[in-house]
Amino acid sequence: MDENHRFRSPQELKNALAKQMYIASNEISTILYLSQQLGKPLLAEGPAGVGKTELAKALASATGRQLIRLQCYEGLDETKALYEWEYAKQLLYTQLLRDKLQETLSSAGSLKEAADKIAAEEDVFFSMRFLLQRPLLRAILSDEPTVLLVDEIDRADAEFEAFLLEVLSDFQVSVPELGTLAAIHHPLVVLTSNNTRELSEALKRRCLYLFIDYPSIEQELAVVRMKVPELAPKMAQQAVELVHRLRGLDLRKAPSISETLDWAKALVTLNAHNLDETTLESTLSVLLKHEADLQRARKKLTSSSSSPVRRWDDTDQWRRSN
Amino acid sequence: MDQRIVQFIAALRAQGVRVSLAESKDAFDAINEMGIQDREHFRVSLRSTLVKDANDQPAFDELFPLFFQTDQPPAFSNPMQNLTPEQAKELANSLRKFTQQLRQMLEKLMQGKPLSQEELRQLGDLVNLDEVSDMRFQEWKSRQMEQALQFREVQQALEELMEMLRQMGMDKDSMEQMREQLEGNQQSIQDQIRQFVGQRIMENMAQQTRQEKLDGLYNRPFNSLSEEDMRLLQKEVRRLAAILRTRLALRLKRAKGGQLDVKSTMRANVKYGYVPVELKRRDHTLKPRIVILCDISTSMRHCSELMLSLLFAIQDQISKTHAFAYIDHLEYISPDLNTRQPTEAVSQVLQRMPSGHYNTDLGFSLENLNRDYLDTIDPHSTFIIVGDGRNNYNDPHLDTFRLLTRRSRATIWLNPETVSLWGTGDSDMLKYAPFCSRAFQVSNLGQLATAIDHLLLNQ
Repeated sequence: MDENHRFRSPQELKNALAKQMYIASNEISTILYLSQQLGKPLLAEGPAGVGKTELAKALASATGRQLIRLQCYEGLDETKALYEWEYAKQLLYTQLLRDKLQETLSSAGSLKEAADKIAAEEDVFFSMRFLLQRPLLRAILSDEPTVLLVDEIDRADAEFEAFLLEVLSDFQVSVPELGTLAAIHHPLVVLTSNNTRELSEALKRRCLYLFIDYPSIEQELAVVRMKVPELAPKMAQQAVELVHRLRGLDLRKAPSISETLDWAKALVTLNAHNLDETTLESTLSVLLKHEADLQRARKKLTSSSSSPVRRWDDTDQWRRSN
Repeated sequence: MDQRIVQFIAALRAQGVRVSLAESKDAFDAINEMGIQDREHFRVSLRSTLVKDANDQPAFDELFPLFFQTDQPPAFSNPMQNLTPEQAKELANSLRKFTQQLRQMLEKLMQGKPLSQEELRQLGDLVNLDEVSDMRFQEWKSRQMEQALQFREVQQALEELMEMLRQMGMDKDSMEQMREQLEGNQQSIQDQIRQFVGQRIMENMAQQTRQEKLDGLYNRPFNSLSEEDMRLLQKEVRRLAAILRTRLALRLKRAKGGQLDVKSTMRANVKYGYVPVELKRRDHTLKPRIVILCDISTSMRHCSELMLSLLFAIQDQISKTHAFAYIDHLEYISPDLNTRQPTEAVSQVLQRMPSGHYNTDLGFSLENLNRDYLDTIDPHSTFIIVGDGRNNYNDPHLDTFRLLTRRSRATIWLNPETVSLWGTGDSDMLKYAPFCSRAFQVSNLGQLATAIDHLLLNQ
């Protein structure tokens, strides 16, 4: 890695991510590498809890960049995402500096002269000192290169998406009182979406698209081994296989990787030695968060506990639910 | 190579994947960056730049191998090399007994030679491969080409040949080995044909433009659409709804004029030293709320699928939507639309509510709505009825309808019948119409677009 934190090959990026405890597939590392080379934002889509946000975090620590996160929600607007003037602070300063202002003005002979004097001091009140920087502006103005994570963009309104487009396309912002602020370093941008609504064509067009699906049994097992090394290998295998079977059921919300990890940790804490019925009964609620799902899973697991684990098409499952 | 990628992009578009010019440029940039040596890198580069929707990825995965298969045909093996000279002689003797064409084919199999491009092209011409531009015909055309190669006869000839060799006293092991390899070669030729057919179909598809197809559809009446057209239309309806949603969002953004917004007023007046010169008001919160009733009875069958997918699209775009379907009674279908993929949701609803004969009863359905779901309609909501208003001479319950229309902000009727048919026979359309704010005839996509436009923008 040179001083610009640039990776020279997808493989190097993959290794760096692995060091941050993130197991990236070849596809993920290749697209990330492309995103770095082409300077295009990366749009990561997929079911909840497959490690989209984690990817941005791992990327930030792998590159040694600061992670700036913009969490989207309905009603998010530019004053919360970009910048806002700190009115209270401005008012306070005006109050405190009143004497000084009086002093400056007292020497003025005419009204015009006084006005000119105040105008000359205007810069004091409209300076970076009073500008409250929100995530987007921070990413633009940062002295150090950063990773900008725009999380769950699908939750923001369509008009915010349009606004974001402008910022992401040329990385500069104009503040009427200050002029145009341009980025010193182009941040690496990662957008994530759970696809609760269709994103606009324009936004998609500007991004590289990465679809992260639930991992295969082997991949997930590797993740569990790495993050919860205390769990016995055989147990880990069983646990992951069970999670995959659960994903095959028609559930309202299939268990995600992070839930698998929580579950693995729960099993370690409870000092469980095998996945018998009582253990399942007491820990299944870590994996499944809907009562209906729990009941369904219990019924299925007890009725067919001996049937072999099958790999279902999770992608279809997920697409259907969206 | 560039040419090939351009063709590939055209084929993607033909499959209905939206690829913009900027995206194809990105694809080329990405390939410049990654090179084409590593097939996996190449695939990922193309996929991440061209396909921006998880639902389109299967189309990509299907097309990619057809376009960027290494031109090497599948592996062939040569059973001749394992034979002793005497055995080879026996074989040559036996081969002589077959007709010219069969012999050529058998020799090909024996020597493990793939079909040449020239041969493939000739075969393709024989089965009119140029006229096909739909992937569904791949299997069929491949089989036709196999027939043209007399595959079945070759098969029989192989059996005969084996029998002859056995009589000539060839040992069992080498016979078995030869049979296996011959079958392998046969399979390889089949694969080669299939691959060739797939590629040609794709190339044909790439030349056809998608747009002209759609333009034709735009003004075609709903009841004369094929299944394929219907699929296209449903896609178009979804796209339309998405576009309208953005327009709506912009309009809502611009529509100010509500309460005073202290925060943004202060912000706007920073430059005047907090003297409120410019007043800012809160957004006029006029988010659309929709209650929609859809007739899926027999008389509406030809377009109910489309209408339901319209409902789906609307529900997808406007969160406050309550969707109902009716035939002889009313059913609340929003949950079905919410949880599933469009086509599946639509077929699920149609399955649950099979249409009978002459049993439409809008009046009773309106009563249902009035009794069970009256809380869904309030002065903010737009009430939409999709149907032909044919009531089978049942009581139209005009008083209930009037009550519902008064409760709602606006009432819009979308009727697939032409205006001249309204009020004829069992149609109660003209009785209902006076209570509606607007009634539209929507018998093709163009009219539907206008109606939706009105629905979202001018309420």
